[in-house]
Amino acid sequence: MQDPPTAAELLDAMAADLYSEVREWVPRERRFRVLVLANLCAVIARELRAGEEPSRSDLALFTALSGSPADDVRKAAATLAAAIRRGDLDSRLPETIAGLREHVARKLDIARPGYAE
Amino acid sequence: MSEPAQDALAAGVRDLIGEAVGSDPGRLALSPIPGGASRETFLAEAGDRRWVVRRDPLGAPDSFAPLAVEFRVAGAASAAGVPVPKPLAFEPAGGRLGSAGFLMEHVDGTSVAPRVLRRDELAAARGVLPAQLGAALARIHSIDAGVIEGVPTSAEDPALAACALWEAALDEIGKPLPAVEAGLRWLRLHPPPRPGREGLVHGDFRLGNLIVAPTGLAAVIDWELCHSGDPAEDLGWVCLRSWRFGNDDRPVAGVGSLAELLDAYEEAGGDRPSQERIRWWEAMGNVKWAVICARQAHDHLIGVRPSAELASLGRRICEPEWDLLQLVPLGGS
Repeated sequence: MQDPPTAAELLDAMAADLYSEVREWVPRERRFRVLVLANLCAVIARELRAGEEPSRSDLALFTALSGSPADDVRKAAATLAAAIRRGDLDSRLPETIAGLREHVARKLDIARPGYAE
Repeated sequence: MSEPAQDALAAGVRDLIGEAVGSDPGRLALSPIPGGASRETFLAEAGDRRWVVRRDPLGAPDSFAPLAVEFRVAGAASAAGVPVPKPLAFEPAGGRLGSAGFLMEHVDGTSVAPRVLRRDELAAARGVLPAQLGAALARIHSIDAGVIEGVPTSAEDPALAACALWEAALDEIGKPLPAVEAGLRWLRLHPPPRPGREGLVHGDFRLGNLIVAPTGLAAVIDWELCHSGDPAEDLGWVCLRSWRFGNDDRPVAGVGSLAELLDAYEEAGGDRPSQERIRWWEAMGNVKWAVICARQAHDHLIGVRPSAELASLGRRICEPEWDLLQLVPLGGS
């Protein structure tokens, strides 16, 4: 066990530092890089706080959409992607698309909150 | 780039300028222009005279459209009345620029999209840009890509060719993206009718590849992804939400409406495509941007181009994925 702060709290602190002070030290034409790094810290902090729940929801969604059981979310994603490509799900494509909007919304909650609103 | 390498490049550029303009420009100050992800661009200055050099990174693998093609396309675009930085001289790999590259005139302005969308001094430019973008696209699309040596062409239906291209790109990356697959599958099953006429397609027409001055559009740059295809491809691409930088009420590059763009496009001689055709290509544009994000993150992971900025694009794939699955199924639910 590590002592406080938690990993997510440390990333919050890094993001805050990069956004405020560090950005000012960097020449104007290179500040974009600092913003990219600060934003990444904020994304990872949200990802750590969300834990395994989004992946568990995706696993359930992918296996339901493809009809093939799997215990690993990456394998389930690969199986579903291949089934879609082969045309196996063509008769259920609108439902598949509707289901995958939930998956994408879960990714956006972490990577870009507010984008899906 | 190391100092000796930069000095050697400066000497090569000086020589090339001397040959192209007929007189030695004198000692050059060379500075990299940040922004290009796959090509290097440098500003060359001698007093108040300025030029731009664009070249392949040294040792880089072959690109989609080699710089020799970009050089020829820029010439053809200029002849067709498209504002471009006038291309001055091409130098093959192993020549004075090291890798393949070309010299062009410098055009004043910015290609940083958020600046174009927010800066006070560009307010008047934003007012005229939608019509200028439409007119420029009509002139680009009037060019017969077949007469420019080396421009990628395909005998296939452009919509189906795009499906195959991005399916192959996904396979090459080897990471499953079910949301992209679902959108792409829908697009493959519902392609627009083959266009009546194909033309030169810029392939990456958005503010980041345009130079904007206070008077408006000053130049179209970065022809790396140009090819022969359906003109609606560029019209859909310029409408991607990712290129609006938050100005979602102005779908065309964050500056205007589709009607403004198409009115100007038609007035400049372009054939006005149906709304559905443009939407299809906008959706396909989101497939393309999602795959490019995945590929850039992959390039970082396999060590081709280690960069936190490229790596971070792996967490941006979901943005075009979301937009893609809002667009399809086209026509509802």
